[in-house]
Amino acid sequence: MTASDLTHSVPSAPCRGLRAYLLGQFGFDALIGLQRRLVYEVAGEPNTGAVIVCDHPSGITVGREGSRIHVRPGPEELRIRGWSVRWVSRGSGVLLHLPGQVACYPVISLAQAGLTPARYVAELEAVVVELLREFDLRAEPDPATPGVRIGSRRVAHIGVAIRGGVSCFGLILNVDPDLEPFRDIHCDGDPMPMTSIQRETPGRARVAAVRQQLVSLIAGRFAFDRISLFHTPPGPSLRPPFPPGSSGGGWKHAAPTRTR
Amino acid sequence: MTPPRRVPIALPDPGTTWAILSLWYVRPGDRVFAGDRVAEVLIPGATVDVPAPVTGTLAERMVHPNDPVTAGQVLGVVEEEGESKG
Repeated sequence: MTASDLTHSVPSAPCRGLRAYLLGQFGFDALIGLQRRLVYEVAGEPNTGAVIVCDHPSGITVGREGSRIHVRPGPEELRIRGWSVRWVSRGSGVLLHLPGQVACYPVISLAQAGLTPARYVAELEAVVVELLREFDLRAEPDPATPGVRIGSRRVAHIGVAIRGGVSCFGLILNVDPDLEPFRDIHCDGDPMPMTSIQRETPGRARVAAVRQQLVSLIAGRFAFDRISLFHTPPGPSLRPPFPPGSSGGGWKHAAPTRTR
Repeated sequence: MTPPRRVPIALPDPGTTWAILSLWYVRPGDRVFAGDRVAEVLIPGATVDVPAPVTGTLAERMVHPNDPVTAGQVLGVVEEEGESKG
């Protein structure tokens, strides 16, 4: 595992460290398991935090406010397109995941950050607005459904879950996805076409740069003073059950857990 | 044995006036441990787990899925396990 510190901690203040996992394409099953682990760890050490930044294989997730009616293709069409449909226990509704999006899932203690769940959702919207400002784009939080709009079109969705006072899931931002498939999926029930950073800017919108900016903005907004970057998910266990080289043990993988 | 104490499950402040009970994770009669999630509340853009206040048995559910709920509202009651005296 590689890690590097981007900023220096403030010696006199308690150090708040943010682990940032920049994972590239990351499957949903793996995400669910990693989120569960990070939520558990942050609940035990609320002065720390984590953020997963990745993109997902093409597919659809349906949050608690979603409905199958927002997915226009039938089961056969979805199978041909290779889009799985997964029901997840986050807020917001239907989301279509495509290459060219950036998914950003902060895992932080809301009590430690002094935020209510609703305020946390608003802070995520503010993160996206601030990021888009760096692209000279004027965006606004969506007053109807949590997310961010540029003009009349949505560019980002917010859908989170708060478990044991710790956040998971987060925001999906369209950097440069193919916007055509969104015609068939009413994300968050919104029939209006989507937009992307690339569509709105004359320059080149790079996914890698957006990932880095998101991590910096998350750290700044939630008052983390140190960022540790990782490009792989954590191993199966932070501590081996037996010292390496000893007999009678070794790394053991946890039994797969049920997703919900 | 001391008689069981009835402890309300109060909704922590979600920070918004619009919230509904999404679902219950436990049924009356189920044993719960302090901190277990017993219910889920939905606010715009987020689901929020509601923890059991004490270890005991869920005695009563006072709201149903899709009912609107507000901060501090009692969602249900847990009968705390009595301490045995040795």
